[in-house]
Amino acid sequence: MSAKKDVRILAYESSCDETSTAVIKNGREIESLVVATQIKSHQRFGGVVPEVASRHHIEVITQITKEALAEAETDWKDLDAIAVTYGPGLVGALLIGVSAAKAASMATGLPLIGVDHIMGHIMAAQLTDEITYPALALQVSGGHTELVLMHDPLNFEIIGDTRDDAAGEAYDKIGRVLGVNYPAGKTIDAWAQEGQDTFHFPRAMLQEDNYDFSFSGLKSAFINTAHHADQIHEKLNKKDLAASFQAAVIDVLAEKTVHALQQYQPKTFILGGGVAANLGLRTRLNAEIKQLKQQPKVILPPLKLCGDNAAMIGAAAYNLFEAGKFADLTLNADPSLELPYAEHMLN
Amino acid sequence: MKILSISTATSNLSVALTEDQTTLFSAEETDRRNHSEHLDPLIDKLLHQAGWQLTDINRFAVALGPGSYTGLRIGVTTVKMFASILHKDLVGLSTLEILADNFAQSDALIVSALDARNDNFFAGAYIMKNGQPVNVMADGHYHLDKLLAGIEKAAAEQGKTKVILAGTGLIERAEAIKTALPALELTFAEGDDNQVHASHLGKLALSAQTIDPDQALPRYLRRTQAEMDWHRKTGKPFGQDSDYVEEV
Ligand SMILES: [Zn+2]
Repeated sequence: MSAKKDVRILAYESSCDETSTAVIKNGREIESLVVATQIKSHQRFGGVVPEVASRHHIEVITQITKEALAEAETDWKDLDAIAVTYGPGLVGALLIGVSAAKAASMATGLPLIGVDHIMGHIMAAQLTDEITYPALALQVSGGHTELVLMHDPLNFEIIGDTRDDAAGEAYDKIGRVLGVNYPAGKTIDAWAQEGQDTFHFPRAMLQEDNYDFSFSGLKSAFINTAHHADQIHEKLNKKDLAASFQAAVIDVLAEKTVHALQQYQPKTFILGGGVAANLGLRTRLNAEIKQLKQQPKVILPPLKLCGDNAAMIGAAAYNLFEAGKFADLTLNADPSLELPYAEHMLN
Repeated sequence: MKILSISTATSNLSVALTEDQTTLFSAEETDRRNHSEHLDPLIDKLLHQAGWQLTDINRFAVALGPGSYTGLRIGVTTVKMFASILHKDLVGLSTLEILADNFAQSDALIVSALDARNDNFFAGAYIMKNGQPVNVMADGHYHLDKLLAGIEKAAAEQGKTKVILAGTGLIERAEAIKTALPALELTFAEGDDNQVHASHLGKLALSAQTIDPDQALPRYLRRTQAEMDWHRKTGKPFGQDSDYVEEV
């Protein structure tokens, strides 16, 4: 009996403000993961400045390549492919990873795999537990809020999407009003644990018969409340504000997710994206799913794999590798790359 | 010595294979916006023509800047990776020096400039010594007025009255430039002489100093607007780039 040969992929991720490399074995095992974060730099500006982000990515790209190989105790000749996020994201930032991965592929003769960043976020779950299909993912981050139906490891379709702001974006915007340093999610989540939902902000689109989200109304209601209090020199409790905001976000995310789980009856439920690190959201989804008659397996990736990282890209790349889906040297960054939309989303 | 040279600094994508002083193969794609898509296939094509492997290359050369920020990063990232993985030499040269080398036979003052919008230029001035460009007005980001004053000063210091202006954006301001520099004999470069050619980079790369691939960065010659605004507002020093990126 001959065992199947192991597949090792070196992966790159540089779509926003993290430069990351990883070596992933068989799409499941993290042999190394290096993440260089630029948060300290962008905190100077209150948010990610694309040109600054691109400049930082190129500073570290060769070093973190060597570190990923060293940490995995591996060499180029032990690898089977090189993978890279090619979109969506900031175009200049993406181009560092794409240029580096293509150059590495040319220099080593290893095949190249282009990975969709969102597919990567969802596939962080594959590094955590076995996914059985069909699966449903709630993908929440600074740029995206989507419900994704996964028929198999390669065929995904979006069944619900945000009509305006992404959830993570709303966190950062109200964070600015509360005087919380970028990125605001972690602090607001912590405050929310200590406060009460006393403001009863609107829950957008809850009544509607679809899986779409909207957070701009909530954001405006929040900002108006804060400004009004300012004008009449009234001091509002920041922790209650945070709790009220977070409750409104989570109510909408949880209810839409539960409806989708009831309709599609997936075997696995996955929470993905930066906002997947939110404790309030994790707790609520777990509790809601326990109430369901048909309970899917729940995969909540560890916090380290919720933010942008190359491990998730290596996991997704393995599935593409197995399917023989390779890129060539013309691979380019695609800042507005999107997973396909389900038929009902297209009209 | 086999050298692969590339310039992605301007809209002219240029790649050359040089052995010692001789350009064996070179290719250019003018007016390209998408260097990312075209660079690697072009390198591949030239290597194929030469019958070389990438591993045969002894030295990688790149136009470090100034130029299009995104374009520079595509080229610099590519050679950083090549040199780092294959353990080969890396050299990076000023885009403006490579441009000046179009006039290696000239005894004029060569002004290399790239249009940086709103009457600003990335520019430098060079004279030729033994067929090699020597910088006499530092590469920098200049407003047109400052640039013209700099040209006048460099010409006086070098005892030159003949001045060649090459690159982008200058010919459009020819009248203003002639009016401001009445004592100088100005020639505006034509056609191909305004382009950055990797074949010239290949020639200069032979004697250039090698750099550590990990330390190789584009020479932007300009901070980002966000950083300048932040600095003006807070009065804080810019600091080292490494102050801002941390492994977690
Ligand atoms: Zn992300």
